[in-house]
Amino acid sequence: MSTDRNVGAKSVKSWKQSAHHGAGEWLAERGTSLVLIPLTLWAAYAAFTVAGGGFDAAVAFARVPLNSALIGLTMLISVWHMYMGIKVIVDDYLQGGLRGFTMFLNILLSAALLIATGYALFVLHQGA
Amino acid sequence: MSQIPPNTPLRPLSPHLQVWRWHITMFSSIMHRVTGSASVAGAILVAAWLVALALGREHYTCFLTLASSPLGLLVWFGLSLAGFVHLTGGLRHLIWDTGAGFEPKKADQIALWTMILGVILTLAFWAVLFASGKVAL
Repeated sequence: MSTDRNVGAKSVKSWKQSAHHGAGEWLAERGTSLVLIPLTLWAAYAAFTVAGGGFDAAVAFARVPLNSALIGLTMLISVWHMYMGIKVIVDDYLQGGLRGFTMFLNILLSAALLIATGYALFVLHQGA
Repeated sequence: MSQIPPNTPLRPLSPHLQVWRWHITMFSSIMHRVTGSASVAGAILVAAWLVALALGREHYTCFLTLASSPLGLLVWFGLSLAGFVHLTGGLRHLIWDTGAGFEPKKADQIALWTMILGVILTLAFWAVLFASGKVAL
């Protein structure tokens, strides 16, 4: 089918783009991985601290400025890392319209997670 | 270029699971994608936790009822396992990025031990949670 050929021809453009910023993507994958090592361990510590404490303890924990900053940073870097990871899997297994649609959902999910995190942190500090 | 059939898309797909002989570095590579994908669900639930907290006591109590139920704990256990195995699997990739550990024997060992370490971290995390009385069935 010539449509398949067209889909391929389209992706030549993205290959050429990739040739110009491939190194940046590679570095971003490694950079976010490295930063996520301490952040993930902190998140495990935070989960341990908040577990079993109920509403008041959780609110008190989340309102500590350092904790708020680390929650925001962990979500931001995680979402960035996740977006790139999903893209790698999508590029391996999906083509054409399905690939485009899945990448659209990927962007949507990333935006939703960041907006939800930002909104929640904002509200928590409004009420402080 | 003439040997390429005219119907072939220019951007090839990755071969799927069934074409490979099973071995440990392959398994750990697949698990890295599986645990990474599962962690997406983890991020969604953490965001849900934060939003529930921001919405106030009533919503948070509702969230806690679900999160501390046996099924909820099983979900958190699975997500923590995915997170820790992805973390240690990521360490393996970072080791490889330095150019070290590519000899087949070493690669197999690193794959095996990073997966075991991920499981140990998960079990230790939950052992501490239960031992401290913060979590109970």
